[in-house]
Amino acid sequence: MPVERVDPELVEFDVRTDEMLINMGPQHPSTHGVLRLVLRTDGEVVSSAAPHIGYLHRCAEKIGENVSPRQWIPYTDRMDYLAGMNMNLGWAMTVEKLMDLEVSEKTRHLRVIVCELNRIASHLVAAGTYGLDLGSFTPFLYCFREREKILNLFEAVCGARLTYSYIAPGGLIADLPPGWLEACERCLGELQAVVPELHAMLTSNEIFIRRTAGVGVLSPEMAIDYGCSGPVLRGSGVKWDLRRDGQPPVARMYEDYRFEVIAQVDGSYPRDQEYPPVPPEAVVGDCWHRFYVRMLEVVQSIGLVRQAIEHYRRSAGPVSEPIKITQKLPRGEAYLETEAPKGQMGFLVVGDGTAIPWRVRARSSCFCNLSVLTEISRGCLLADIPAILGSLDIVLGEIDR
Amino acid sequence: MIAEYLTTRFGLPEWLACGGVALVQCLILLGIMMFAAALFTWMERKVAGRIQDRLGPTRVGGRFGWLQSVADGVKLLAKEDLIPGEADGLLFRLAPYVSFCAAFCVYLALPFSNGWVAQHLNVGVFFIVAIAGLEVFGVILGGYSSASKWSLYGAMREAAQVVSYEVPLGLCVVIPVMVAGTLDLVAIGNMQRGWGVNWLVFHNPFLFITFFIYALCTLASTNRAPFDLAEAESELVAGFLTEYSGFRWSVFFMAEYGSMYAMSGLGAILFLGGWHGPIPLAEMLGLSYANHAVLGWLGDLLGAGNFLCKAFLGVAAMMWLRWTLPRLRIDQVMTTCLKYCVPLAAAMFVGTMLWTYALPGGLLPRSTPLGAVAEAPPWTAPRAARGERP
Amino acid sequence: MINWHTCFFLLFATITCAFAVAVVVSANVVRMAVCLIASLAAVSGLYFLAVADFVAAMQLMIYVGGTLVLLVFGVMLTARGPFVSMKITPANWLMAGLAGGALLILLLCAATSVDAWKTAAVAASAPAAEGGHTVAPIGMALLGIRVDALEQANPALRGGIAGYLLPFEIVSVHLLVVLVGAAHLARARRRRRPAEAVPDASRSA
Repeated sequence: MPVERVDPELVEFDVRTDEMLINMGPQHPSTHGVLRLVLRTDGEVVSSAAPHIGYLHRCAEKIGENVSPRQWIPYTDRMDYLAGMNMNLGWAMTVEKLMDLEVSEKTRHLRVIVCELNRIASHLVAAGTYGLDLGSFTPFLYCFREREKILNLFEAVCGARLTYSYIAPGGLIADLPPGWLEACERCLGELQAVVPELHAMLTSNEIFIRRTAGVGVLSPEMAIDYGCSGPVLRGSGVKWDLRRDGQPPVARMYEDYRFEVIAQVDGSYPRDQEYPPVPPEAVVGDCWHRFYVRMLEVVQSIGLVRQAIEHYRRSAGPVSEPIKITQKLPRGEAYLETEAPKGQMGFLVVGDGTAIPWRVRARSSCFCNLSVLTEISRGCLLADIPAILGSLDIVLGEIDR
Repeated sequence: MIAEYLTTRFGLPEWLACGGVALVQCLILLGIMMFAAALFTWMERKVAGRIQDRLGPTRVGGRFGWLQSVADGVKLLAKEDLIPGEADGLLFRLAPYVSFCAAFCVYLALPFSNGWVAQHLNVGVFFIVAIAGLEVFGVILGGYSSASKWSLYGAMREAAQVVSYEVPLGLCVVIPVMVAGTLDLVAIGNMQRGWGVNWLVFHNPFLFITFFIYALCTLASTNRAPFDLAEAESELVAGFLTEYSGFRWSVFFMAEYGSMYAMSGLGAILFLGGWHGPIPLAEMLGLSYANHAVLGWLGDLLGAGNFLCKAFLGVAAMMWLRWTLPRLRIDQVMTTCLKYCVPLAAAMFVGTMLWTYALPGGLLPRSTPLGAVAEAPPWTAPRAARGERP
Repeated sequence: MINWHTCFFLLFATITCAFAVAVVVSANVVRMAVCLIASLAAVSGLYFLAVADFVAAMQLMIYVGGTLVLLVFGVMLTARGPFVSMKITPANWLMAGLAGGALLILLLCAATSVDAWKTAAVAASAPAAEGGHTVAPIGMALLGIRVDALEQANPALRGGIAGYLLPFEIVSVHLLVVLVGAAHLARARRRRRPAEAVPDASRSA
């Protein structure tokens, strides 16, 4: 990236007399966090949309060089704060890879339960706020009503609703309380009934389709070039999911599970569930497909949680205890990417023999997903910017760390 | 009539008497408009809540939050008077009141019952359509004088939308006028007396479709979802309203709810029988001027209640749509207007024209009212016949 | 004699003249447009007072609604900075004053020279004057029947008395369509294609 030698304030001086320079954010209802978008528009048509990030940078990686891995877990919670469990999981598995630790079967399946539940919660927020960005106020509340049930479950498990710090390197900080599994199954049943309502209000809604179909088309080649992952990549038709194709620790975690990777391959989506048909105006890689992938993944995750509950019930032994704060890390480094709801979240830990790591690095999925915004929003209308941004589903906590 | 009474009985100068009567009429209309705004703010929140599976206001003024609107009004009055530093002060202060005046003036020609109209204009329809298009001027002024790009964008979008939709709105309004043969709203309303089959919406299938096109154009004219780009929170913060807070904001919203109610009322008169219910209760009960003046007045009151209910249902339907559907982009709004509404309305116009040529009486048999024909109250007679100066 | 009618006439006339003067005097283009709207709306009020409802509604729709919204559009789209001020040189003031003053004097002379307008007689009892019912006679005139001149004996004059009103209106609509088409054909195409857009987009962030 070339260094700007000029004062950034001067660069944005509005010298073009036929274009308007518009600043969207950092405080704006639809930028999903403190994101600043500098748009150049000719009337309604956007010629460039440049994201400016860093408003939520909290030096998490630097702090990681001063605290032990166990103490760094809350910092991962606050990255993608809508999917705290998945962030915890990524960090925990990275440290376990460095230290060559194995967790018990029960731990593995319980981790799948909470991570997939958190995936559902994250996708519900994405779907609800996407509807809100486009002016449909009601699905937002329906999604949050369901998410409340999941958050209540999480509160029963670890005492927190958003920043869980539940999955630690070595295991989990607590086992499930009694009655939790039944409550979870009830919640899944109710959630399964709400999904068709959301499809009716959003996915098959004529106005929603007109706002999102054909908008912000991302080709698979560009998605791979920019390092996009998650629903953004799968919405462009690339069948890649780390739960199937990832590194051994991640793939081993999901090896007993049956699920489909949701991506349109050869013109159709996997046929193991009922879903609304793809409208003719939708182009693979547009906002509608990215949204559709998330909605279908919710149903997949419901199935995964049900399978995990079965596995959990059948597995014996205790849940593994996490490592101690004073545990020394071996020399060496480990890098692991996991499939978080928003994409591939990678963690690097470099140990130097002491309890404090030498270097900690978090590779944000949303950072790469956001970088493609400039390309796919060229030539769109101003009202398409929230549509495209919402379909990328970014969380600034993860981008800025 | 009341003015003459005041002049002859109390010896007041004529201008004072007329002025007093006009003032009272204005205050009644203002009261209706403000009450409608307060009621609809409350109703919007309740309807929104119920559609979103929650309750809405439940604390202020009892279990249903009746006084929530009053509390909001007091809060808005007490807010700090903020004007952006670079804003054009005079225009910024003027803009909400321009919108409000335009919305208010629509009520001057809108009849609430037989003869219950502030100004019995014989160009009533034309006047209302003309004034309804002026509301956008307040919006443009507001957006422009806020000295903010976002406000300007919102104002431009709204102006383009309202001005474009005046065309299909005018066409949809002209079709029942053509069937009725007059621009006089009281006459159009009176033409639909009797049973519900007399309503113009059932006159011929083209008018039936026209009613729905009219409803769509009303949504676009008053900037309600799915055409609410000018107030789109998620895109332009609040569009032209971004810099408005406190009392000025509430004036804009009174103008919006007022014009929603007025356009619903206009639709009720043009298509849904106005102040006549589906069953001619007034005639059945003998509430006419032929029997007694008070009974006639009661019959008119029943009609006014009918009219208010119909307009209220129209507004409720608008709210229902707002909380269900996402919003359209500006180019999609324009496409809907120019490529769908205008040709459809023109086709309905031609269809109605041919239908009235072939079947002047309409599709369904016209019903005759039971008993005596409903008479107009004496003050609706032409002024010359009443002995006033022309 | 001060009665209701006169009060309102004075009010509307004052508003018209005052805002017309304000249009000339104000420096900001948008304020000029607002004053013009107020002035024309007051003229519409004068028409209502003259019991010409149809013309009054026309005035509102065409002048106030149509012309001025377009005027404000044009002003805002061409304004470079937010609040453009127009600078008028003294020479311009002088020339405009002379021309305007001459026309005003001419108008006053013409207005005060008509004998029929000097007395406070009630207007001729045209059937249209009753209660402002001007729409029906206009409609009949469009179809060729002048309701206020039914007793015209001379058949030669009777034929042209309606004055080809309907064909005139049809031609106006036709002309509007032609103008819209011409404006569309002649529009400047200056939109750059998205592929050649701003090259410094890659320098961002």
